[in-house]
Amino acid sequence: MSSVLQLQRQFIDYTTSLHNEGYLDNQFTELQKLQDESNPDFVTEVVSMYFEDSDKLLNNLTTALQQRNVDYKQVDAHAHQFKGSSSSIGAKRVTNVCAHFKGFCEAKNLDGCLRCLQQVKQEYIFFRNKLEALFRLEQQILQAGGSVPMVE
Amino acid sequence: MHLCNTMAASFIKQVFIKIHSAVNSWERSHSRCRRRGLHRDVEQDDLQHNNANCLSSYYSVFVARLAIMVMLAILIGLLTILTWHFTRLYTRASLNALAYGLRYELLQRPVLRMWSILNSTVEITTAQVKLSEFVIRKYNKAENQAEQVEVYAIMREVTWALFASHRALNSITIKYKNGFVQAFHRDPRDNSTYYIYNDLTNYTMAGLYDVNTSSSHHGWNDQTIHSNISAVWYREPLDPDTGEKIGKQKAIPPDELINIAGISQVPYGAASWHVAVSKFTNSPLLSAAMPVRDAAQGSIVAVVGVTTSLYSVGQLMKELVEFHSGHIYLTSQEGWLLATSSTTPLLRNSTSGPNLMMAVDSQDPVIQAGAKWLLKAYGKKPPPNHEVHIEKAKLGNKLYYIDSFFLNLKRLPMVGVLIVPRKYIMGKVDERAFKTLMILISASVCILVIGCVCIFVLTNGVSKEMKLRAELISHLDARRKAEASSNYKSQFLANMSHELRTPMAAVIGLLDILISDECLTNEQYATVSQIRRCSTALLRLLNNILDISKVESGKLVLEEAEFDMGRELEGLVDMFSVQCKNHNVETVIDLSDDMPKVVQGDSARVVQIFANLISNSIKFTTSGYIILRGWCEDSHSFIENGNFLLEKSSCKKDNKVILWFEVDDTGCGIDPSKWESVFESFEQADPSTTRLHGGTGLGLCIVRTLVNKMGGEIRVVKKNGPGTLMQLYLLLGTPVDTPPENYKLKYADHNLKVVLALNGSMGRMILSKWLFKIGVHAWDACEWNELTHILQYLFIPSRYTQNLTFECSKDEPITKQEIEASVFIIVVDIGLLNLSTDIWKEQLNFLDIFNKRAKFAWVLNHDTSNTIKMELRNRGHLLMVNEPLYKSKLVQIMEAAIKEKTISLRHGDTDTHELLEIDNVHSDPESSNDSEKSLNSNSTGIVQVEETRRVVSSSRYGIVSNCFLELTEVCSERNKPGANEAFPVAINNDNAREKRVQYAEKTVNVQKSLEGVRILLAEDTPILQRVATIMLEKMGATVAVVGDGLQAVEALQSPLEDGMTAQQQMRDPPPYDLILMDCQMPKMDGYEATKAIRRAEMGTDLHIPIVALTAHAMSSDEAKCLEVGMDAYLTKPIDCKLMVSTILSLTKLQPNSHIIKSTE
Repeated sequence: MSSVLQLQRQFIDYTTSLHNEGYLDNQFTELQKLQDESNPDFVTEVVSMYFEDSDKLLNNLTTALQQRNVDYKQVDAHAHQFKGSSSSIGAKRVTNVCAHFKGFCEAKNLDGCLRCLQQVKQEYIFFRNKLEALFRLEQQILQAGGSVPMVE
Repeated sequence: MHLCNTMAASFIKQVFIKIHSAVNSWERSHSRCRRRGLHRDVEQDDLQHNNANCLSSYYSVFVARLAIMVMLAILIGLLTILTWHFTRLYTRASLNALAYGLRYELLQRPVLRMWSILNSTVEITTAQVKLSEFVIRKYNKAENQAEQVEVYAIMREVTWALFASHRALNSITIKYKNGFVQAFHRDPRDNSTYYIYNDLTNYTMAGLYDVNTSSSHHGWNDQTIHSNISAVWYREPLDPDTGEKIGKQKAIPPDELINIAGISQVPYGAASWHVAVSKFTNSPLLSAAMPVRDAAQGSIVAVVGVTTSLYSVGQLMKELVEFHSGHIYLTSQEGWLLATSSTTPLLRNSTSGPNLMMAVDSQDPVIQAGAKWLLKAYGKKPPPNHEVHIEKAKLGNKLYYIDSFFLNLKRLPMVGVLIVPRKYIMGKVDERAFKTLMILISASVCILVIGCVCIFVLTNGVSKEMKLRAELISHLDARRKAEASSNYKSQFLANMSHELRTPMAAVIGLLDILISDECLTNEQYATVSQIRRCSTALLRLLNNILDISKVESGKLVLEEAEFDMGRELEGLVDMFSVQCKNHNVETVIDLSDDMPKVVQGDSARVVQIFANLISNSIKFTTSGYIILRGWCEDSHSFIENGNFLLEKSSCKKDNKVILWFEVDDTGCGIDPSKWESVFESFEQADPSTTRLHGGTGLGLCIVRTLVNKMGGEIRVVKKNGPGTLMQLYLLLGTPVDTPPENYKLKYADHNLKVVLALNGSMGRMILSKWLFKIGVHAWDACEWNELTHILQYLFIPSRYTQNLTFECSKDEPITKQEIEASVFIIVVDIGLLNLSTDIWKEQLNFLDIFNKRAKFAWVLNHDTSNTIKMELRNRGHLLMVNEPLYKSKLVQIMEAAIKEKTISLRHGDTDTHELLEIDNVHSDPESSNDSEKSLNSNSTGIVQVEETRRVVSSSRYGIVSNCFLELTEVCSERNKPGANEAFPVAINNDNAREKRVQYAEKTVNVQKSLEGVRILLAEDTPILQRVATIMLEKMGATVAVVGDGLQAVEALQSPLEDGMTAQQQMRDPPPYDLILMDCQMPKMDGYEATKAIRRAEMGTDLHIPIVALTAHAMSSDEAKCLEVGMDAYLTKPIDCKLMVSTILSLTKLQPNSHIIKSTE
């Protein structure tokens, strides 16, 4: 049981650090709150949906920016969507970069857009890694027979 | 004239400049004063600007005036000159012509006379010569003395005949060759005629003949005469008519000889004449001489001389001059004066006898001056023909016409000169001309002056008008600016308050969360509640501002929904009574029974009207009461004498009723002069109001706009006594013509008896009046002693047996049966009890005596302590209402009492749970749910204060009608006396704990707050779809998800178009209660979808609330959302609480029935 406790503590610490570093915000907590008996895998489900969606969006963004004549409207739409989904999942830093991205799109600044795309990708990968780590931790706790603690 | 004009113009100009500068300086000083008074920079600028404008306009006006005046002057001057010129020119020309003719005529006549004199003289001479020749020829053979004498005698006769026939002749002389002279002479002085001859004896015939013979050789000359000095001359006076000798001949000296023409005067043997003078006449004489020749020899035998006086010419001249005035004179060519029109002598006596004088030496001054003038003008060289016409010769001090004519006679050329005073001919003309000129000049000057004055006056008007117009323009400009700025202000306020409202709502929401937190200490809780109240107040203010700006921009749209007017107003009074209690003011509501229960309108706005009015009254009322009266137009139109006169026809038109209300207070009142202006925005009756009472002065403005919007009017009405009486009416729709509840019939057979022991006299009076009206016996008591008195009187307290009798106040004997049948209700105000000490328990003990007989209903204060409530409950007083007591509460009490009575009559001591249902009959579904829960948990008592707070914090009312805190009256019922132990946990626990329990309940409540609400979610992002769906489902809502706007529209339309008729559509509710619409979606975005949905709704009563979801957080997006017809706006990420409150506030707007139905 001590390992469970340890794991739980670890989980809490990790989540708190994610919050503190700005990777996650309260929206994620809200998601976690929504998870209950009727939707046991709600968070995982949503997050995996987010990952799929984000991969697609990042691909779209990359191709859109590689065009000779960049369609900023389309890029903006993609960025907007990415921003919306990120904010819904609570990926704070991704959301922030997306906001910048949108700004560059409106200014039709190709350099800025490309830079932002890189940043978004980077942030996204970070976020993904962190989240996956979190889920792994969660799994370990569950396997150890403990319950996932709620972090306020 | 021109010079004069220009001078006048320059003078006028100077005057104008002076006036102008004076006006300017005045203006400047004046404006300075004004500025000093105003002390406002903006106005100063404006004034300066205006001044500059005025200055330039002044200049332009003055220049225009000046130009017009100068033009006028020139015109008038020209006119004057032309008039003067033409009148003068023509008259002068014609007059001159006339004058010339006259002068010519005048001069011609003496000249002609002269001419005729000359002619006659010559003729006589010629005749004498011819006769002499004839006589001498006939008698040339006179050989002796005798014959000679005969010849001379004949000659004398002949000569006399001639002399007598010509009266004008002065003398005729015949001098013979031999020196004999015969002469006739007329002396004009004594009109005597003389015959003059010399002594014949001295001359011999021989001599005569000698002379005759030798004369051809020697001739004869004057020498012979002169040599004959020694000869004796004789003069005989003759009868002038007959020539007879009438006197003696007299010898006269030769000196007195008249001019005897001698041979010397006919030097060439031809006739000659000259002007001569004689001693006898004072006028010159014209003498002609002619030789008498011997026909045969051709030698001269005698010389005939004829002398004519020129006197008659002078006479004629005098006559002419007498008639015409002026002077005429005749001169010889050399300038010797021959005749004048004056009486001055023409001859000069010199040593050598009288001589002719020159004209320049004439004694007549005018003639002398004229002659001198002519001499001076022409000198020695007279103009050819001597013709001179001078019109303006200045002689002395007078002007004269001088005309001269030349009479060219052989050997005697003459010059006639006429001197006529100019005054005689042109005198009047010159005078008239001068007068005319004067008149003309004065007239034109007058016209000029009048014209200038007219111009000044007229242009003054124009300039004034210009000034006014300029002012008007600037005012209009200022007004436009002010309006524009006011518009900007409204816009700004609207935007700002809208912007501020959102964070405020968030703050309030967060505070609610905080309040529901369980780990707050009591102080923290109190602080947070305080913040919560303040926030609500702030939000209310924001709402007010938004309302005003909405109304100002005409965007306020009133809803049309059914609501219970009575209940809303009672709730309002409940709410305000808490506030009033602190002020020691009684709040009373008095709605007449005929008011329709359900009306159609905007309940929130109606409540807002009364909330504003009542809060206003509370602000200004420190003691007394505030009454809210309400009645329906029909019944009271006669009683209330209709301050706003309305036609009867309009009041029932299309199911509309006119509801009259009065808010009556006993506050400080409003000055009658402010009765109108208090309804203006930011207007307060007294400037000190803000300081003393706070407020912004917006409340009444909102009230009036809302009232007007509802087809009503509001005004302050004169009332007796202190305070304010606001009267208003509203035109509201009634869905169906439901007959008002007839309480009289309802309670008639229950035989109710009510004792009203209430503190507030006004409310008690109104209630007892009403009870009396519906046929219920009532007794009033305002203090404890009175109450005990009445109770003892009613129930005869000495005995507790059932067979007691009593008399009511009307001395009606009440039988035992009646007491059995009647229901006694004793309404006691908790304030009647002496709460400060423990006496109240004694008082309760006293009342317990009557508990079996009568039903006690307690009116509680909002600060009634729980101990008292518990105590009351313990004693079985379960019927409790909060202050203030009004009709519907009383009705509830009575109904509860009646029900209990009937039940107790039927079943004895049974459970009366149903009563609760009665009480909650018009509570909203939530509270019924709650009540149910409470029932289930067997904790029926719900503390009123908490109940109130709960409802406040349930955002259902918090958002929609902030100013209306519905105070649910709860008549907590506990019928089982034995169930006291099971009474709420609250009994044992402290307040905080109690609250927590309540809020715990509330959390459950919130989580399921969307129970039954059907929501259509239009969202393309799957993550958001999922998250939102889960969130909403957790709240109990039913969620349908679509991926884009097109699907959303289809989802909404498909059930509608599935073969449904329009009527069915109308009747059936839409498939969803609300749509959550993402703004950016593929295929059709949220804006387009909303537009399409709103288009489809057009023409129906449907209005499905649409809430926008967007990742943008700009207000412009919100504006856009609202513009396309969405109702609210949520930003991503979705905040659960905000979403719930938004959804609730929107679904509440739908008819209640619908939600209730879905709840079921």
